[in-house]
Amino acid sequence: MKKTIRLIGVLLIALILISCTSEPEPIEFGKDYCHYCKMNIVDKTHAAQYVTSKGKQFKFDSIECLVNELKSKDKQELAHILVANYSNPGELIPAANASFLISSAIKSPMGMNLSAFKEEKMALEMSQKHDGVVYSWQTLTQFISEK
Amino acid sequence: MRIRLFLICIYLLILVTNCYAKLFFVGANESLHSIQEAINLAQNGDTVIIRNGIYKEHDLFLSKSIHLIGEKNALIDGEKFSGILVSETSNFSISGLSFTNIGVSYTSDLAAIKVSKSTDFIIEDCRLENVFFGILIEKSKRGSIRNNHVSSVRINEASSGNGIHIWSGDDMEVHDNELFGLRDGIYFEFVKNSRVYSNFSHDNLRYGLHFMFSNSNLYHHNTFNNNGSGVAVMFSKFITMHDNTFQFNWGSASYGLLLKEIYDAEIYSNTFEQNTIGINAEGSTRINYRNNRFIRNGWAVKIAGACYANNFSKNDFMSNSFDVAYNSKENDNSFDKNYWTDYSGYDLDKNGIGDIPYRPVKLFSFIVNNSPEALVLLRSLFVELVNFSEKVTPVFTPSHLMDTNPLMRKIND
Repeated sequence: MKKTIRLIGVLLIALILISCTSEPEPIEFGKDYCHYCKMNIVDKTHAAQYVTSKGKQFKFDSIECLVNELKSKDKQELAHILVANYSNPGELIPAANASFLISSAIKSPMGMNLSAFKEEKMALEMSQKHDGVVYSWQTLTQFISEK
Repeated sequence: MRIRLFLICIYLLILVTNCYAKLFFVGANESLHSIQEAINLAQNGDTVIIRNGIYKEHDLFLSKSIHLIGEKNALIDGEKFSGILVSETSNFSISGLSFTNIGVSYTSDLAAIKVSKSTDFIIEDCRLENVFFGILIEKSKRGSIRNNHVSSVRINEASSGNGIHIWSGDDMEVHDNELFGLRDGIYFEFVKNSRVYSNFSHDNLRYGLHFMFSNSNLYHHNTFNNNGSGVAVMFSKFITMHDNTFQFNWGSASYGLLLKEIYDAEIYSNTFEQNTIGINAEGSTRINYRNNRFIRNGWAVKIAGACYANNFSKNDFMSNSFDVAYNSKENDNSFDKNYWTDYSGYDLDKNGIGDIPYRPVKLFSFIVNNSPEALVLLRSLFVELVNFSEKVTPVFTPSHLMDTNPLMRKIND
């Protein structure tokens, strides 16, 4: 009897510990909604998300929605900022290391024609092929906030 | 005299059709076996008739003003290679053809029929199955897309395309189409002065109909059933929506109609039935809602920030869990002469208008707005008490948000 109680106790503690992590939840495409624009998230090549240090999940259908949302957020409180890798649909990569491309050849859900690449090489290649401007995370946020 | 004139007309007509418009037949028993061959031979004004049969062709290119007519069961199978037909011309028509198996790509928008930089065209009575994008139109004017059937199988959400997608268009007409199993049934991006009517858009992943940056459009008599969400109208001005039906859009945050950054719209005589949220409005200003019916929705109307000068009158709010949800204490919207099934007032002077005002925002809906988990308490005694006390002395809900002339009977059928 005592053993079972102890086991339940251990399991409960484990559960509490698990539910406290600030790891990003996977986006459920077709089911989740963009926190910023309320649209359903369906586009695996343009989705984005961030997680606060308390573990609260925010998901977005496009990178421009994420950037617009983050304008009013304290950067200290964020554990993860992720954007979809255009060259590998479905993969989410840290925004800080990604390269961003604004090009009219690649349309994004909210009309800014903005997409992200894991490798800067790919972004540059695409920008040469289709015309466009490559940004880093820092220059991108600056560009959007000045708009 | 009259008969003679008539005969001359007939004669001229025969002359014209004989001399100018040639007919080309494509089929297994005809001299031409491939559609592209026939298109290459045809001149402006000619007609290509495609006989019953299966044609394994893709990347057909149409650059002349010709008419493609499919006989019954004339099917073009793209074998998942790429798109099937690309058209860049004016004065052409495509009718009665079937298309199937369009290639899927993340990087290019492959479509069964792609129309680019074209004017004055008709796409009618076509059947498009297993498509990525169905009909994709860009930078075009004066097109009519009618009576088509567009469908796909939505196995992988992200690899789905839209049924009828118009990007940058003017004076387009989309009517009597059926669309299902797609990402968005119909998607308008930068489209103006266009009409969408009598379509049936159902079981799509995202929206039945989607407007983005599209001004001065009209949509009416459409039915939107069972989509991820019914219709989204975003960043657009002067949109008129009437006599549409929005049904069965269930999901954690699904809605019949999403309005986001919309100005000067008219919304009348629509039916919103059994949606999680009937209308979800955010940043919408100067909108008139009248004669709509809201039946058995979770929330009939949810109003988030920055909605000004909206006017609700003569609507029926029937058996919704929440009539109106509001997330701020400010109110700049008016409610007048609506019918509310939850209204429990009286009408002593028998003029059909209740003698005490109705407050559509309940305290509990305000609480749920702030912490959605509280929803489990719905229909409990505690919640009824909370709602009652707020009704008597409003503290949290906007105090002047009320219908001063609530109707005693419903008005719309």
